[in-house]
Amino acid sequence: MSTAVPVHPVLNFRALAMPAALLCVGVFFALKSPEFLSARNLSMLAIEVSITAVLALGMFLIILPGHIDLSAGSGVGLIGGLSAVLIFEYGWPAPVALLVGLIAAALIWFGMGTIIVRERVPAFIITLGGLLVFRGLHWLVIHNATIPVSRGGETNLFSLLTTYYVPPGVGWGLAALVILALAAVAWRKGLRAGTDREKIFLQTFVAAQMIVLFVLICNAYRGVPLPALVLAVVAFVIYTLTRQTPFGRYLYAIGGNEEAALVSGVPVAKVSIGAFLIMGIIVAITGFLQTAYAGSSTTTVGTLMELDAVAACVIGGTSLKGGRGTVFGVLMGALIMAALLNGMTLLAVSPETKYIARGVVLGLAVWADVRLSRR
Amino acid sequence: MAAILSATNLVKRFPGVVALKGVSFDLVPGEMHALCGENGAGKSTLIKTLSGLHPAGTYEGEICVDGRPVAFANSKDAERAGIGVIYQELALVPEMTVAENIFLGNEPRRACGWFIDWEKVSADAKQLMDRFGLNIPTTAVVNDLGVGHRQLVEIAKALSKNTRVLILDEPTAALTEQEVDVLLDMLRDLKKRGIALIYISHKLDEVFAIADRITVLRDGQSITTLEAARTTKNEVIRHMVGRPIEDLFPRRAGKSGVPRLVVENLSVEENGKPRLENISLEARAGEVLGIGGLMGAGRSELLMHVFGAFGRRTGGQVLLEGQPLGPAHTPSGSIHRGLVLVSEDRKRYGLVLDLSIGFNMALSSLEEVAVGPGSFGLINDARERRRNTEYFDSLRVKAGGLETVVGTLSGGNQQKVVLAKALMTEPKVIFLDEPTRGIDVGAKLEVYELINRLTDAGQAVVLVSSELPELMGMSDRIVMLAEGRVGGTFTRAEATQEKLLAAAMGGETSLN
Repeated sequence: MSTAVPVHPVLNFRALAMPAALLCVGVFFALKSPEFLSARNLSMLAIEVSITAVLALGMFLIILPGHIDLSAGSGVGLIGGLSAVLIFEYGWPAPVALLVGLIAAALIWFGMGTIIVRERVPAFIITLGGLLVFRGLHWLVIHNATIPVSRGGETNLFSLLTTYYVPPGVGWGLAALVILALAAVAWRKGLRAGTDREKIFLQTFVAAQMIVLFVLICNAYRGVPLPALVLAVVAFVIYTLTRQTPFGRYLYAIGGNEEAALVSGVPVAKVSIGAFLIMGIIVAITGFLQTAYAGSSTTTVGTLMELDAVAACVIGGTSLKGGRGTVFGVLMGALIMAALLNGMTLLAVSPETKYIARGVVLGLAVWADVRLSRR
Repeated sequence: MAAILSATNLVKRFPGVVALKGVSFDLVPGEMHALCGENGAGKSTLIKTLSGLHPAGTYEGEICVDGRPVAFANSKDAERAGIGVIYQELALVPEMTVAENIFLGNEPRRACGWFIDWEKVSADAKQLMDRFGLNIPTTAVVNDLGVGHRQLVEIAKALSKNTRVLILDEPTAALTEQEVDVLLDMLRDLKKRGIALIYISHKLDEVFAIADRITVLRDGQSITTLEAARTTKNEVIRHMVGRPIEDLFPRRAGKSGVPRLVVENLSVEENGKPRLENISLEARAGEVLGIGGLMGAGRSELLMHVFGAFGRRTGGQVLLEGQPLGPAHTPSGSIHRGLVLVSEDRKRYGLVLDLSIGFNMALSSLEEVAVGPGSFGLINDARERRRNTEYFDSLRVKAGGLETVVGTLSGGNQQKVVLAKALMTEPKVIFLDEPTRGIDVGAKLEVYELINRLTDAGQAVVLVSSELPELMGMSDRIVMLAEGRVGGTFTRAEATQEKLLAAAMGGETSLN
């Protein structure tokens, strides 16, 4: 871990508070419905968490410098729908259709970022406009119909995104690789003078156990689902970006004090627009995953996903004013949000109650955050 | 006379540091009591303790008002006991009028108690202004007032609450000389009315002009209390730093070399208003170019524009090492070219206050310790830490370590962090805008020594200062600005306070 990146004083307490909250959610649903802890449901949960978390990680890059993206959910629907239409109606090969969707999203978000940063229009307004425009475009593209992600029920790259499971052997191989990499990083950190070796060992040990447990559960069903790997890659990239590159430091600096960042020589405009560009790519990836998970693009795909993403960030300790937050926190936040939704669906909770519960959890999380930061 | 406010053996601990290690002092009605001490000596902590910001129970020792022990739970309690504080950072709402600000949170209500009695607000505000002989329209919006007037509004606000003890933290840091005079006159008047004042300032001239007694703090302890009439500046400084100071401005002029920065006939406007007109100057290697002028003369604007963070160029050019700089350039571009700026307002333009010392120090030169393409290279943690530690040690930053949050540091140490950040870019030209504002004598000396080291190494330093002695003491050449134009250029030998002031007032004024 880099030394200079902020560690909030209450982070340690939080780092425990979030797993504790997650545990409560888990225990509650496990008691209410034995099905919750079944290998099948946990595999489904893994897919749902992955989708929520990927989008939340993109949102994290937007919130860090103090912006927000309300258009992400509509964008998810639009880009998934666009690629589905190219495949289903125009017969394009799936990889090409996905690539076109990805490029379109990158361009759209680059454009929004440019307007927000260069013209100084608040992100809230531009992306609120985006929310409406993209929803309209989405419905236009799919003519308010249901567009499957593949023709005639055959499998293609698009449909495989959420139906492919890594064979058990390969799953174990990947797990071993990741654990080895973690151990190597921990060992290098441990060599440094003045580090808390015991803590590093414990962290690595717990992480390794979690990975083994995860693969064990997934293999008890069909294997590690592909979205989990996508999340692993995205999380690794975002973690490296925020902790290990000037770009990431700049995001924290802009969120902490934009004027000081500018005078310190931070290329504020380029970095902020860069964050939006990356968000576009992540919206596309989420769009593919979410649409594939639904099996087809319909008018409701992606609805309100932007709010789940913001909620995951905030529950994970990201400050909406910018300048504070961690990737680990966002992942925990996404896990809590997704577990909550999954559990309620299992219990056949009515949609109205689901909305209320999500809202209440969000409110409580932010309230707790404010209380904790006040010390 | 019985003390209106006294503190006995105050001890205040923070995680990792003891800010007050036993401070005692007392204040009698109608007295002006100055607190002097280096940054980090504990002045701010003492004020916060006296005014209830550090509530009772978080410190040891005793605070008495009128001889009775008090335990303030918050600043409202202190206000009720008659203690008011004017902080360094003014706490006015810029969009509200003077009257609204004065009664903010204390608005007189109409009979039913629900609605604000606006007539009474403006009448009371006017009455308050009249009572203290202030000539500020109460309907003016604070945004339209100068810093000096805002300060007076703050004081009026404190007085509206029947304040008997008024604490002023560096009230003149941002004021012009005339504004300082107005303020000091007002404070003398308050003294006559029996109000006790605690005055914190780094400017010893002011302290001696107005204080009755002086308490010196050092390293969290009250060292001594002196009668202003029976002591000298040197004695106070000696107590502050714990050692005598021989030379206040230790400028070692070296040989000046090639021009590093040349400004030719530069004109700049902002929002359609011309701010700088036809400015020409040059800064040479190994030389300190001083830039002076009254408030609003365009000193900071000049630096900020050349650096790429202010205004639109309407004429002229800037050459850095012979190559044109701008007009459409950014600070990041300037830094890559070897020009760096240390702003006068370190909290606004200098630091990300919530983040660590290490984060802030490295911010301007992260790409130097990263491997890979530009912003997306991978930072080498070990290299970054090594470099941070080197500057942390060589600038003698007083803090727990690189992880300490910058916002918790004293002004002088914050300034050192900003300087470290600028130096790490390995600049050829360095702009220092009021580098010693609000920092103590010891830290000032360190800044001056640093300037010497920079010019010895062949860098060009451009120093902006509103304090003429500092400008004359540290510069090899001085350019005085007057209303956006060059009012006069002087060598170190030519410069006298009179000539510089005359040039600052418009240049054409006769020198006789």
